[in-house]
Amino acid sequence: MQTEATLAQSDVSELDLVKRSQAGDTEAFDELVTRYRARVFSMIYNMVHNEQDAWDLAQDSFLKAWRSVGRFRSQSSFYTWIYRIVMNVTIDWLRKKRVKGGDAEFDDAIQLTQIEPASKTVPKTEPLPHQMMERGEIRARIEKAIGQLSPEQRAVILMKEIDDMQYHEIAEALGCSIGTVMSRLFYARKKLQNLLRDVYEKV
Amino acid sequence: MKRFEEKWTAWLDDQLSGRELSDFEASLPDKATAQAEKADAKKLGELLKRELGAHALTNDEFFNHQLREKIVQENRGSSKIPTSTWWTIPRLLWAGAASLAIFLIFTFAVMQEKNPAEESQYLTQILNARVDPVVSPNASVSIFEVKQDRVTVLWTEGLQSLPADYAAK
Repeated sequence: MQTEATLAQSDVSELDLVKRSQAGDTEAFDELVTRYRARVFSMIYNMVHNEQDAWDLAQDSFLKAWRSVGRFRSQSSFYTWIYRIVMNVTIDWLRKKRVKGGDAEFDDAIQLTQIEPASKTVPKTEPLPHQMMERGEIRARIEKAIGQLSPEQRAVILMKEIDDMQYHEIAEALGCSIGTVMSRLFYARKKLQNLLRDVYEKV
Repeated sequence: MKRFEEKWTAWLDDQLSGRELSDFEASLPDKATAQAEKADAKKLGELLKRELGAHALTNDEFFNHQLREKIVQENRGSSKIPTSTWWTIPRLLWAGAASLAIFLIFTFAVMQEKNPAEESQYLTQILNARVDPVVSPNASVSIFEVKQDRVTVLWTEGLQSLPADYAAK
């Protein structure tokens, strides 16, 4: 558990890293990337459901962050600021993809990425194959359901439920009002409840 | 004034308190159904968190490496831009000025050359014109001009007819 002192310390060093990045220090920026890459990648992956696309979009997002880090004014946390870039890049990509090729991107996206090929040889610590298969199916159902939401609704529900972000942080990251965030959350939940009721009731 | 969707969302996330909470709950037509929906939303949240939680980034060091390469390329590119801009703008200015100067010189030279040539050719034709003394024994041709007024007068007298080969072109 992080204490207030360590939290303050990490805040200070983050600010320091940002300032050094603004002065053109690529090593400091590299450290910021190391801190946030996992969260950023995970968030994008949950939006697009494809590892390669998530990787490319995360790279684009950090590159854009590097280009505009000079404009970061420390009025919000660096994390919220970078999320704004991530969301712009990802939502824009999803919109373009929707325009280009319809919206059937998740039909073939049953990703069993969490299943280790070696797990069959380690039966005591890893879940059994049928459990993994079942989990993969659940995940695929969830991804398909999320795929039916608009990019903005996806962003809102994932930031709220997965990242535990506050309404005002989500609003800041998406550049919209808190009311809009709450409204999108309302419709996203309704839709997912309809699509996934049998899944969460069974689990 | 919050809309119903906003109040409902705030209520689901336990963000309402005090009078706002009691007013909202009092406005619900069926509190038991609403509570069931709230429980449903919580289950949905838990399911999403459990199944979509952190998705591991494999090759994380390569991620940084690739990004560093892109940044280095970008920095190289941006450091070249000012140099090329510095060369291009003066080049354009010099090229423009030189073209204008050449145009002016040629225009001036052509104008200087063209006017006297035209005038002298014309006068030569007139003065060299011969009048046949058999056809027109009393004929005379004279010419005078006022240069500053750009006026030339051709004066002919005693001509029976204009010779066919006479023409001031």
